[in-house]
Amino acid sequence: MTILSRLRHRSLPSRILMGIYAIVSIYPLFWMLSYSLKNNNEIYVTNPFGPPLHPRFENYRTAWESFNVPVYFLNSVIVSIVSVIGAVLLAVMFAYAVARLRWRFRETVRTYMIIGLFIPVQVVLLPLAVLMRDLHLQNTLLSLIVPYIAFNLSFSTMVFYGFFRTVPTELEESACMDGASLYRTFWSIMLPIVSPALATMVIFVFLNAWNEFPLALILISSENLKTLPLGLLFFQGQFTTDWGAMGAVMTIASLPTILLYAFFSEKVESALTVGSAVKG
Amino acid sequence: MNKYLGNKAAIAVFVLPALLLYSLIVFWPLVQTVYRSLFDWDGVNTASFIGLDNYKELLDDDLFWTSLKNGAIFAALIAVFQIGLGTLLALAISDAKVKGRKWLRISFFMPVVLSVTVVCQLWLSIYNAEYGLLNKLFELLGLSYRQDWLSDPGVAIFAIAFVNAWQFMGYHFALLFAGVKSIPEQFVEAAKIDGASKWRSHWLITLPLLKETYRFCLVFAVTGGLSAFAQMFIMSSGGPGTSTYTLTYLMYRSAFRINEFGYGSASAVVLVLECLIATLVINRLVARERIIY
Repeated sequence: MTILSRLRHRSLPSRILMGIYAIVSIYPLFWMLSYSLKNNNEIYVTNPFGPPLHPRFENYRTAWESFNVPVYFLNSVIVSIVSVIGAVLLAVMFAYAVARLRWRFRETVRTYMIIGLFIPVQVVLLPLAVLMRDLHLQNTLLSLIVPYIAFNLSFSTMVFYGFFRTVPTELEESACMDGASLYRTFWSIMLPIVSPALATMVIFVFLNAWNEFPLALILISSENLKTLPLGLLFFQGQFTTDWGAMGAVMTIASLPTILLYAFFSEKVESALTVGSAVKG
Repeated sequence: MNKYLGNKAAIAVFVLPALLLYSLIVFWPLVQTVYRSLFDWDGVNTASFIGLDNYKELLDDDLFWTSLKNGAIFAALIAVFQIGLGTLLALAISDAKVKGRKWLRISFFMPVVLSVTVVCQLWLSIYNAEYGLLNKLFELLGLSYRQDWLSDPGVAIFAIAFVNAWQFMGYHFALLFAGVKSIPEQFVEAAKIDGASKWRSHWLITLPLLKETYRFCLVFAVTGGLSAFAQMFIMSSGGPGTSTYTLTYLMYRSAFRINEFGYGSASAVVLVLECLIATLVINRLVARERIIY
C-alpha cells in the first residue's frame, strides 16, 4: 500500500470525531480528579483547567477523616459483596433447574421470571418501602441486600439459562451412571462449565449494587447504614465551600468501579451489554 | 435418567429460594402498586377505596402533564444523542485502523461504570454558574454565553437530560460496536467493489443489519428516559419551579413528601403503561425478523 492511499484510508473526519468525543467523555473525569487535588483558589481562579501543580493530598485526608466516608465505604462493600453472592447463587440454581431438570411447570415459571425484566424498580418503590417496614427490615443493611438480590434475579437467571441450554445432556447421564447425586453433579460439573457466565454476572451485579441509588434513597435513612451513592448526596451542602474535599470523596467513591473496569475492561463491557441478547 | 433429572426434592431446593424472593420483592409489590392506586391512602392509616379517582385527579393535574412532557423530552434527547453518536463512533472506530483504538473505546465507556450520584455531582460543578467548567470554558473562548444552566426553566431539563446522555452514550456505543463487528466484512466490501462510498455502503448494508441492536437500544433509551429520576432528584429537585418533574419524581414527591401513597401509586401505574406502550410501539416499528448470516 502506498503512503498516499494509506493516508486516504485513515479518513480524517472520523478520526476528528473520535478524538473530540473522547475528550468530551473523559475530560470531565480528569477535571474531577484534578480538582480533588487543588484548593479553591486554584479551582476558581488560578488553574481551573489543568492538572494540579502542587497536588494537595490533604483533601483526601479531610474527606476520609472529617465525614462518614469510611462508614459509607464499608456499607457499600458489604452490601455489594453479599448481593453478588446471593443473586448469583440463587440465579444459577434456579436457571439450572429450569434449563436442565424435568418438571411440569418449568416453562411457566421461566416466563413468570422474565416479567421481572420489564418492571422498572421505580414502580415498586412505594410498596417496597411499606413491605420493608412490615418485615422490620427498614434501617438494616438487609433492607438493601434483599431487594438488590431480588431485582437482579430475572436478568441473571436468563443469562445462566442461555448457558445451561448449550451444555450436552451426556454430562449428566455419565454423572448419573457414576452414582453422583444431583447436587454433586450441579456443584462439581455444571458450575465449572458455566464459570465464564458466573464471572460476567458477578461483575454485573457488583456494578449494579455499588452504584444503586433510588432504592437506597427510599429504604435507608440512618446515617450509619448509608452506602456511598446515598452518603455522597449529603456532602453537597456541607462541602459547597470546599470543592477539593468534595472531589476527593467523589474520586474515592468511583475508584472501585474504575479499577474494576481498567483491569477487566472487555469483561465489564460484555457484562453490562449482555442484556441485549436477553431482552431483545 | 428421567428419574434422576426429575428429583422433586432437588428441584424444590434449586427453584424455591429464587422464586419466593422474586415473588415477594418484585412481583407482589407490582400487584400492590396497581391495587393501592385505587385507594386514598397516606401510607399509615386505613385506606379508603376510591376507584379510579386518583387517575382522574392525575389527568387534571398540571404537574402530571409537565411530567409526561419532560419524560418525552428526556427520552427523545438521550435516544437521539446516544444512538446517533454511538452509531457514528462505532462505524468510525471499526473502519479506521487507528492506533489506540482500545483507549478510545475505554474513554467512551468509562462514564458508564460510575455511580449516577457521582456523575450528577460532577455535572453540578460543571454547570455551576460562578466557577463551573462550562462557563469558565466560554469565558476562555471569549464568548459571552455564561449562564446559570440549571436555574433557567427552559434550559434545565435539557441540561439534566444531557448528563444522562453523556453518561450512557458509551453503553450504546459498546452495543452497536459489537453489532458492527459481528457483520461479515465481505458484505461491506462487496458494496465498495460495486462502487459505493464507505459511508454509503454503511448506510445501505451495515445499518439495516443492525436492526436487532437498534431495537434494544431504543427500548433501553426510551424507557430509561421516561422513568428518569436520579438526575432530577440530585440536580434540580424537580425545579426550578416544577420545570424538571418526571413521572417518577412526581411519584416520589406524592408518596414521601406529601404522604399521598395512592396518588403516587397511580402515577407509577401510568409509568409502567407508558413504558409498555413504548416498548410495543418500538417492537412494531423496528421489524422483528432475526438476521442470520
